[in-house]
Amino acid sequence: MQELSWFLPSWPPAFGELVLFGALLVAGLLGGELAQRFASLPRVTGYVLVGFACGPHALGLVEGPLFAGARVFVDLALGLIVFELGHRFDLDWLSRNRWLAVAAVGESVGAFCAIYAGLVYFDYSPLLAACAAAVGTATSPAVVMVVAHELRASGQITERMLLFTAVNCVFAYVALTLLLPFLHLEHAAGGRSAILHPLYLLAGAGLLGFAGSQLLLGIAKWLGKREDRQFILLIALVVLVVGCARALNLPVVVALLVLGMLARNLDYDHALLPLRFGHAGQLLFVVLFVLSGASIDFSGLETVALVTAVFVVVRFLGKAIAILALGRLSGLRAGGAGLLSLSLLPMSGLAVVMVYDTAALYPRFGAELAAVVLSAVALLELIGPLATQFALKRAGETQPEPRAADTRLET
Amino acid sequence: MEFNRSLSLSLGIELELQLVRAHDRDLAHEAGDLIERLARQKVPGEVKPEVTLSMIELNSTIQSSYSGALAELEAQRAAVAEAAGVLNLGICGGGAHPFHDWTERRVYPAERFKQVTQRYGYLAKQFTVFGEHIHLGCTDGDEAVYLTHMLTRYMPHFIALSASSPFYQGEDTAFQSSRLTAVSAFPLSGHMPFVPDWAAFLEYYDSMRGFGIVEGMKDFYWDIRPKPEFGTIEIRVCDTPLTVRRAALLAGYAQALAGWLLEERTRAPSAAVYQVNAFNRFEACRFGCAGQLVDPYARRKIVIGADILDTAAAIMPQATRLGCVDAVRELAEGVRRGYSDAGWLRERLAATGSLPDVVREVSALWARA
Repeated sequence: MQELSWFLPSWPPAFGELVLFGALLVAGLLGGELAQRFASLPRVTGYVLVGFACGPHALGLVEGPLFAGARVFVDLALGLIVFELGHRFDLDWLSRNRWLAVAAVGESVGAFCAIYAGLVYFDYSPLLAACAAAVGTATSPAVVMVVAHELRASGQITERMLLFTAVNCVFAYVALTLLLPFLHLEHAAGGRSAILHPLYLLAGAGLLGFAGSQLLLGIAKWLGKREDRQFILLIALVVLVVGCARALNLPVVVALLVLGMLARNLDYDHALLPLRFGHAGQLLFVVLFVLSGASIDFSGLETVALVTAVFVVVRFLGKAIAILALGRLSGLRAGGAGLLSLSLLPMSGLAVVMVYDTAALYPRFGAELAAVVLSAVALLELIGPLATQFALKRAGETQPEPRAADTRLET
Repeated sequence: MEFNRSLSLSLGIELELQLVRAHDRDLAHEAGDLIERLARQKVPGEVKPEVTLSMIELNSTIQSSYSGALAELEAQRAAVAEAAGVLNLGICGGGAHPFHDWTERRVYPAERFKQVTQRYGYLAKQFTVFGEHIHLGCTDGDEAVYLTHMLTRYMPHFIALSASSPFYQGEDTAFQSSRLTAVSAFPLSGHMPFVPDWAAFLEYYDSMRGFGIVEGMKDFYWDIRPKPEFGTIEIRVCDTPLTVRRAALLAGYAQALAGWLLEERTRAPSAAVYQVNAFNRFEACRFGCAGQLVDPYARRKIVIGADILDTAAAIMPQATRLGCVDAVRELAEGVRRGYSDAGWLRERLAATGSLPDVVREVSALWARA
């Protein structure tokens, strides 16, 4: 045996992250298919459940180094999704339908006020309540986008769901950033940083997104209308903006949303082709949701069960009341408001990121915020996709999966 | 089956239109939302759903002249464009959507449409094509049969003048109108049999019903068919033009031509018209005004565009009488310049480089015109 050992691996072999990563993909893929075939659940839920099962809070198969290694995939997946969401934000539509703009902002304001009032009622400090409300205003861009893709949804509820999500994500970030001065002052930081920090974050992300969009449009114009080339360009720009935002300590999601929005609304020459995710997109979504499932932590749920329930319920009510009040004026069909509100339920990784960003500044405050918000995120990570799927199906805007023998002719 | 008498040469127009979504310019599925919205306001004529959720149909009321029809279509266009804007939908003319995938089509939830899909399978979804139907009033069934036979000789004119479906499923078909090929796949497409009068037609119709092949006139997908309940004949070969204006012009041309055929009566109906029909129809679909048609009366080939110009000159007195001189003149002028909607679409593709861009320009053109 001795003479063979120079080419045989040591025992047990050191399976690296790559093997684990591949295995996780297979598990996620199977989980998604099982969920879809046997329980009619969204595939997303299957991915999340597999991730949760393998995660540190359950079996513990997925831990530290793998998270770090997969980070680039997560960034890319989220980046593409958020970019597409921004790209669906159509200023022309809002200018033709002012009530729609009012309804979109109203939905954000409704959710924010409802959560804030609910938490203050439960004796949370106004600042904490406001920060939690800001985080809770956002709908998960990844979930709504991926569920819509999976169901091949198209229609008024789908379009408005995506538009409202883009708006409430921006609203959430801006609100949270504008709360920073209060946070700084409460923690006795200098007045200058209290003003300059939020300014830097918002202006920086805006400028970065703008610069990215100009680069994207300029190169796309030169490349011409070639789908394959434009796809590569798009991925490159998304990665570039994610990287720059990280390097400059700017909020990645805002920068990408701005990139998408400006790429759509400043494209006067119509240089960009409509974008389409191929199979590569699907792959990224599996990774994204498996890993986001792995980070689900229910350990704190018991102690904050009541607050979590209140948070989830008032958040929904806030969104629903605003949409019910303004939906009809914005041209939503009868019965559409309830479905639209339901479709906006999901929360996910985006909220987690916002909480962690805050925690990085002020750990004590961050921990309190996490206690309030993260259990709700965990809950909505599981229920949210179901709500969105139900709403889009009930709205009649989904397309069944293509089957081999779908056209049985009458004989 | 009674042929309801109507005012000779009165006009009616049905226009099938495409609904496209803003973000990728593919067909939308929101006919239901749009029609619900339009139901809440006063629109002249009628806006109706069609077999797929990607289509709506505008119907004019009965008009005596093309200019009346045009005014009404303009009013409908304005209302539909406004409602569509609120829902972020584009409305497009044209005989076919340039790049949609027919497997994606969804059937409008109504019993008749479900039956059509059940029976025709993929044909029903592939039949997502968009046409203009022109109704011409007839005083009785015999007049309807006579006009059907006589107008068949001129169907290549209508195909060539309306042709606006050069692209299909993302490809340039090389045809000016690819839409009519989709119609030909149906078992009851084609033309009316060569019957001498309405009584003979009824005999044919009753035997077809006796065989259980048809239940009513709507089961015949003919290029021109009598429509006894309206008291009209219906010209069904036209692609929906890119603008409502051109749709009205075509109706004016049809009216003048029918008026001339009824007035002059220099020729008798001839079975030879149907003998050459398939050839003529292909030439018009494939080459538009540059195609050739066989004139079975003169027994010679003639370029379709030249034949349109000759005809336009011949029918001018009737056009004057019926108030559609401008329509005939404008169409003839287009033929002289070599204009066609299909040509315009190809030119826009060359200029913009992508079919989604072409669709964007088509919906902008429709909304503005």
